[in-house]
Amino acid sequence: MAQVLPVTAPARLMVLEGIPAPVWVIGLLLLLMPALASNFVLFQIFGWSFILGMIALSLMVLAGYGGMVSLIQMTVGALAGYVVAILGTSGVPQISLGWPWWLHIPLAILVATLFGTLVGALAVRTEGIYTIMITLAIAAAFFYFTRQNYGIFNGYTGFNNVVPPALFGVDWRQPVPFYYLTLGCATLSYLAVVWMARTPFGLALQGVRDNPRRMSALGFSVTAHRILAYSFASVIAAVGGILLVWQNAQVVPGTAGIPQVIDILVIAVVGGLKRPIGPFIGALIYALLSVFSSDILLAFGMSGERFKLVVGLGFLAVVFFSPDGVLGLWERWRARPQGSGRDLRPANREARP
Amino acid sequence: MMPSVAERLNAAGSANALELRGVTRLFGALAALTDVTLNVRPGERRAVLGSNGAGKTTLFNCVTGDFPPSSGTIRFFGEDVTNFPPHERIRRGLRRTYQISALFTGLSVLDNVYLACRGVSRGRFSLIRPRAGDTLLQSAEGLIEAVHLQDVRDRLVGELSHGQQRQLEIALALAGAPRFILFDEPAAGLSPKERAELIEILTSMPAHIGFIIIEHDMDVALRVVESVTMLHNGRIFKEGRPEEIESDGEVQELYLGGGHG
Amino acid sequence: MGTLHSFIARYPIWAIAILVLIVALAWLIVAPWPPGLEEAMGRKRVFLNAILSGITLGALYFLVASGFTLVFGLMRNVNLAHGSLYLLGGYIGYGVADVTGYWLLAFPVVFILVGALGLLLQHQVFRRMEGEELRQTMVTIGISIVLADLMLWFWGGQSYQLLSPDWLSGPTTLPLVSSIRPNGEAVYLSYPLVRIAILIAAIVIGLAMWFVLNRSRLGMLIRAGVDDRDILAASGVRIQYVFLAVFAFGAGMAGMAGIVGGTFQSLSPGEDTRFLLASLVVVIVGGMGSIPGAALGAVIIGLAEQVGLVYAPTYSVVFTFLIMATVLAFRPQGLLGAKH
Repeated sequence: MAQVLPVTAPARLMVLEGIPAPVWVIGLLLLLMPALASNFVLFQIFGWSFILGMIALSLMVLAGYGGMVSLIQMTVGALAGYVVAILGTSGVPQISLGWPWWLHIPLAILVATLFGTLVGALAVRTEGIYTIMITLAIAAAFFYFTRQNYGIFNGYTGFNNVVPPALFGVDWRQPVPFYYLTLGCATLSYLAVVWMARTPFGLALQGVRDNPRRMSALGFSVTAHRILAYSFASVIAAVGGILLVWQNAQVVPGTAGIPQVIDILVIAVVGGLKRPIGPFIGALIYALLSVFSSDILLAFGMSGERFKLVVGLGFLAVVFFSPDGVLGLWERWRARPQGSGRDLRPANREARP
Repeated sequence: MMPSVAERLNAAGSANALELRGVTRLFGALAALTDVTLNVRPGERRAVLGSNGAGKTTLFNCVTGDFPPSSGTIRFFGEDVTNFPPHERIRRGLRRTYQISALFTGLSVLDNVYLACRGVSRGRFSLIRPRAGDTLLQSAEGLIEAVHLQDVRDRLVGELSHGQQRQLEIALALAGAPRFILFDEPAAGLSPKERAELIEILTSMPAHIGFIIIEHDMDVALRVVESVTMLHNGRIFKEGRPEEIESDGEVQELYLGGGHG
Repeated sequence: MGTLHSFIARYPIWAIAILVLIVALAWLIVAPWPPGLEEAMGRKRVFLNAILSGITLGALYFLVASGFTLVFGLMRNVNLAHGSLYLLGGYIGYGVADVTGYWLLAFPVVFILVGALGLLLQHQVFRRMEGEELRQTMVTIGISIVLADLMLWFWGGQSYQLLSPDWLSGPTTLPLVSSIRPNGEAVYLSYPLVRIAILIAAIVIGLAMWFVLNRSRLGMLIRAGVDDRDILAASGVRIQYVFLAVFAFGAGMAGMAGIVGGTFQSLSPGEDTRFLLASLVVVIVGGMGSIPGAALGAVIIGLAEQVGLVYAPTYSVVFTFLIMATVLAFRPQGLLGAKH
């Protein structure tokens, strides 16, 4: 299905074709959301969903298009957040260098991307199943290290008061501006991934996923492709991480603790690993559950603390009944026998936008 | 640094296209290939025949680079490629088809061929989508026509018939500027009409492209080659011209008499 | 031993380097230290303690990781709930020891209970997802999340410490010289008896596993399956029974390791993650599906952690990570892992 190109369309429109209609509707709704929703919903639910969605999208790129399930994405994001705190301003002036935003933000993205690339270089030369283990182990090492190191990472306390720069005189951490900021970044990431999937690079990446031996016999360096996929994914994760740190106004070791790292995988799987919109769906579900689960649990007469139990059971249910996540449910519902003779493509498990 | 086409043709004139010396491949205690030495000249058409388990596919895998030989050397147009990874050998002009079609079933025919063209050219990591007049795209289109698949250009490979998939395999092998191709049982599962088409494609290939063909179908194999190497139990058993091999008593007894697969 | 010979033949320089290292280490441990060395490296007693702590911690890591590596090697199932089984075993063991007063009784009880849970999981869950490696891993993640919260609910957030029984409590004297008194008398190192006991038990268990793997029919099937799943399937043996046995055993081992960990250190939420990670690192370093690999990896990681903790506390985590990264960079299949 990943057509290389429809020959006559001008370049600009080529990004937009292949985005399903429901996404357009949602997009429009999102643009107008501040008129409908409260500040809390804008900041805590949507803002958080866009951010988590971006980081989970980074995982989806590697897992869905590249066939590599990597657990390093949240760590990459946290590292970017740490670099912003260390090079920029924070509540820990003895470590933070106070560099201007146009310096510390790009550097943060660069450092995080380099880190992600390095992890990729370590992880791609083994069989696919090792990738989860290796990336999880490295993520854990990062967590323990940031918790113990006080010289650079300020250990257990981390950095507080890490806020976005006041560009154009706007306090970007206010609900409405933050909403648009995260919406904008999420949209850009989504479009970037949609675009990438049909470039020679993206096409080759999917080929590497499906038959690495064949790709090698066509002249592609499988290892190089996989590592570059990590680089591409890391950029998205880095931006998401910076936004996350701004939202919390702090970065601590627990930002990329093991539960958080695994939650990203849960989000991506629940949403669906086959299309770039999946991670955002999963993130929204996660955000809603996080915020409202204690109320739901209390309504059922259970202690409001059992949020994780609900998440775990829900995740198990999804994995059992719909391994393609919510998107998979949607696809199966759409493809159910209609009796109207609709042309149904043969079921293929390729990821597509 | 990749040599230019002129240099390559020059080198092609002087060196053997493919040179195996003492190649042995062990799998644990099993010797799949033992001390195989063979030379193939540029543009030469050769068949490697032998019963199942004779080591033919292992030979191909060694030449492609799926695994290194346990001992021995492999030279491709004068260059020692014994320890090169597969993609380095492919970029130097080697190509291969597979006994069981190794295609990307979820992509279209055009995408498959385009990937093959990309693999041996620059811009493998390009994040720029190809425009209408893209040269690689045109090469891909040309290849599709050469194997008579233009009617199914946009269909998913998974929807093609077996014969069409085998034709696509060949198109992939012709991508870029191949200097030498390894055909692994290209006639497997083809109808007589498709077999005739295959023979036509193989015999009408440009003269500078040499190939080795593994085949069980002796009719196809002997019709398109000028020399034959017979393998038996991992060793070279006999070499000669097609008519010699066909009429050889030992070959008949060992290979044809027992009923080949 | 054939592999040892081929290793020495192919990497003579490495073999010599490792031999030199072993001899140096042996000398450091056994011989009394001259005063200059003590000035440079601190007291020998501290060094000996670090080494022994590292090895005994390695014993604990081996107990946890051996089940993990078998399950992965044979069934290609990355069981990320392995740490949860460890913690569950520890908590249950604490309960048993607390109620009955017998520490030793905890072991068989935990092995049976946690092993039964493993049996249930393999039979009811993983068997239905044969071949879907990623999906199995996801399920183990879900199980670990659920188990972690259930354990938090039931046992709360506090730390539990198992007390070693009286007959194992207290120090024992080892035949290692830690220093020489001014009058020329040797002072021997005293070290907690329970840790030595666990070390011995781990060695015994490791040898028993090696024995079963290399000398019994079941072991032969397991090794064949680790090497090549298809051969095992084609052999006509009811591989599902082998899988059940291996998974149950691995779970039981993890549970028993929980008792040990609760005695050496303590049990609390978060320990499940910690020991899962330890298993991951041990197996990455040592090699998948290899019991000797798990032993080697466990000792290396245990030593790195403890020695690092004593001599360079802020960076002990970095050591472990560096070891792992180095192995990944130069020998991705692990030190004793098979190249696929």
